[in-house]
Amino acid sequence: MPTRHEPAAPYEIPAHPSADDPRVTLEEQLGVFEPIPPYPPRTEREAEFYTLRDGEMFINMGPQHPSTHGVLRVVLKLNGEQVVDLDPVLGYLHRGVEKLCENADFHQAICYMDPLEYVSSLFCEWPAVIAFEKLLDVQVPRRAEYIRVLSTELNRVASHALFMGWMALDLGGLTPILYSFIERDEIVEMLAALTGQRMLFNYFRIGGVNGDLNHEFMSRLGDWMSRATEQIEANLTLLNENEIFVRRMRGLGVLDRETALRMAVSGPNLRASGVPFDVRRAHPYSVFPELEFDIPTRQEGDCLARYLLRMDEIRQSLRIIDQCLHEMPDGPVMARVPRLLRARPGRAFAAVEGPRGLYGVHAISDGTDQPFRMRIHDPSFVNLQLVPLLMPGNLVADTMAIMASLDPIMGGIDK
Amino acid sequence: MSVVGSTWGRLTPPGKALAIALPVLTALSIGLLAVVVLLGPAVVTFLGDNLPLVRFVVAATAVLLLTIPTAFLIIYMEMKVIAFMNLRIGPDRVGPYGSALSVVHGLKVLAKEDFTPTGADRIVFTWAPVVVFLASVMSLLVIPFAPGLFGQDFNIALLYFFAIGGLSVVGLLMAGWASFNKYSLLGGLRSAAQVISYEIPLTLSVVGLIILAGTMSLNRLVLDQSGSILDWFVFRQPLGALIFFIAATAEANRTPFDLTEADSEIVAGFATEYSGMRFGFFFFAEYVNVFIISALTVTLFFGGWNAPFDWPFPVAVSLDPASLGIWLLVLVAVVPVAGTLFFAAPLWVANSRLPAWQALVIGFVLFNLAVVAVGLGLAFVSFDWVVGLAWFFLKTYVFVYTFVWMRGTLPRVRIDQLMNFAWKWLLPASLLNLFVTALAVVILAK
Repeated sequence: MPTRHEPAAPYEIPAHPSADDPRVTLEEQLGVFEPIPPYPPRTEREAEFYTLRDGEMFINMGPQHPSTHGVLRVVLKLNGEQVVDLDPVLGYLHRGVEKLCENADFHQAICYMDPLEYVSSLFCEWPAVIAFEKLLDVQVPRRAEYIRVLSTELNRVASHALFMGWMALDLGGLTPILYSFIERDEIVEMLAALTGQRMLFNYFRIGGVNGDLNHEFMSRLGDWMSRATEQIEANLTLLNENEIFVRRMRGLGVLDRETALRMAVSGPNLRASGVPFDVRRAHPYSVFPELEFDIPTRQEGDCLARYLLRMDEIRQSLRIIDQCLHEMPDGPVMARVPRLLRARPGRAFAAVEGPRGLYGVHAISDGTDQPFRMRIHDPSFVNLQLVPLLMPGNLVADTMAIMASLDPIMGGIDK
Repeated sequence: MSVVGSTWGRLTPPGKALAIALPVLTALSIGLLAVVVLLGPAVVTFLGDNLPLVRFVVAATAVLLLTIPTAFLIIYMEMKVIAFMNLRIGPDRVGPYGSALSVVHGLKVLAKEDFTPTGADRIVFTWAPVVVFLASVMSLLVIPFAPGLFGQDFNIALLYFFAIGGLSVVGLLMAGWASFNKYSLLGGLRSAAQVISYEIPLTLSVVGLIILAGTMSLNRLVLDQSGSILDWFVFRQPLGALIFFIAATAEANRTPFDLTEADSEIVAGFATEYSGMRFGFFFFAEYVNVFIISALTVTLFFGGWNAPFDWPFPVAVSLDPASLGIWLLVLVAVVPVAGTLFFAAPLWVANSRLPAWQALVIGFVLFNLAVVAVGLGLAFVSFDWVVGLAWFFLKTYVFVYTFVWMRGTLPRVRIDQLMNFAWKWLLPASLLNLFVTALAVVILAK
């Protein structure tokens, strides 16, 4: 490939050039071709990564690429079609959520948690709400807990159903994404009936939930539950029995048990490697001790296992939803909580099991009405660290499959 | 100041241009007329003496023009069929059921900026779409559409077809290299590897057929399959047909072998940096390729323009206008008026807001359409080549539909799986097919 271009003719740049001076921007544009940072390498790793050996080239996958999930940029070092090394570049979606939460009171902080995982927003609200409840010593009514479990499990099904479509789309199948959007749309519509929003629900409150189950939600839910199992199984046969799909996924990006534990992976990615760790069982919260469900695990640790495990989780979620509907107690959905909250000074940690792993919030209070510090543990960020471990040695096409099977959401990674 | 000078000074700029252009145009017209009068007979004689040349020029033009409706139709078909498979509605804005969408797409592509990226190799970048497009159009020349309706009848038509089809990879490689983009480069190299690998099973799969037929002329191959449906080569060469279809899919870069433009991996492959009509040419070429491989599959294995069964109702139109006498005059005078009124009256009666003249216009158009439909129906049962053309396009579009169906259903294979499949499965299978065919021919000959 040609190297950086020299300017065609020497010209004078004024001492203080305007930002929209076309000559200046032209030179800047030419510099875009080089992925090598303009500064000297800061670390040994950076120096090693940005040195090309014979036959290698860099390629920028993202931030605008048809199949990176969100605005993730991965600098791939390729040898032909083979990935030699890679460097994920984060921060394109950074909003400073933790800092924003420090400047909001406890009620307001919850709504900042929603956009972290725009595919499964309820799971991000939950740990924050639990942590604040611990700080404030609030007892949540049992009906509210059941509603929380019900709505989050619905959200988990929506997230995993969408995952199925994405997975196929990244492998080149056009159709499954639209089939899985049907499932997701039905669930999202019924959650909209419950919460008032389709995507960023902002439904959980400190001490309960925002509203009781209403008629529209229940009728939509009953409608959907009557055919959910059948419909999801039918969608699964489209992909699970597709020879091309299975052959591309099997044995790809194998994550072994030890590495998974060492890298602090959580969620389906961990369980696909044979570790039956699920926060719902390991550190029970809410009403999960009363509910009956299995923790599916798989031993292979490859992309296919990660995919199939999520599909197993959908079935378990449907079981949980069924039990919630049968055992839902009567009562209030909101504890009596003062409008102006002043937490006791101290710290609280809460974690829940989301569709991508362990969502945790560590909140510190200094006795005012705002959290003094909020640390958000996002599973996508931890799972994304696997990418440099799993990808080298695979082909360019497989980077997409591996990335899709880890199922990262950039909103949570960049925070 | 002379009179001419002052007049010239008072003219507006368009007037000045016209004042210069008019005499020049007049002189040119007179010259052209003179040339026609003097050289016309000679030219006509020359053309009459060189009929193959005339035939070639006409055929090339016709084939070039055929690509436009073909591509539009297949693009629309793909959008609509995949939309139905995805449980979407698909295009429904422009024209009835969105059928004019590809035309509007074409206009949009023409109106777009023709952009060449900085650092691209301008000449190669410009010519790459032309090479790709011409390669597909030239392959169309040898396909027999109907009895007597083909561009050229070579005795090595099949060989020509594969040779020209392989030429398109040069264009893709040019596009990939000249774009100054690494995604394009990957796409171009992928297409080179893929097309060259699949050329071999593609060519070998039809060798058995060539042994059976003893010719490589596509026209003769179709004639060999005339008779009943059981004479089609697909029943004598089922394995060959299967291998041919798979390899042709890869050759045309269609799903599941569309690695060249895998949008989830390498953005748009070789076409990443192309915009405007240059991209339009790639797009055109892709869909013309779909048509071509479907047409060739039909020609080689599915009987070409032969009908699968005889037309069960022999219609002989033997109407002598002279025998009608005075009634002919009545027919000519009365039928159009009566037909127009026949179509217009119900419209006018049913819709009170429709003016009578509009109802008459619509009735006249409908009457004409009806006449054309009856005429086409008569032509269909009366002329060999119309029947052949209809069957040919029907069969071809069945295969086009299959390609679209595969696009809507299957995910993409990986490059190493693609290569393994070509070299470890398709190549041995096609060799086996060739061996068995040759053995059978030798045994049966004794």
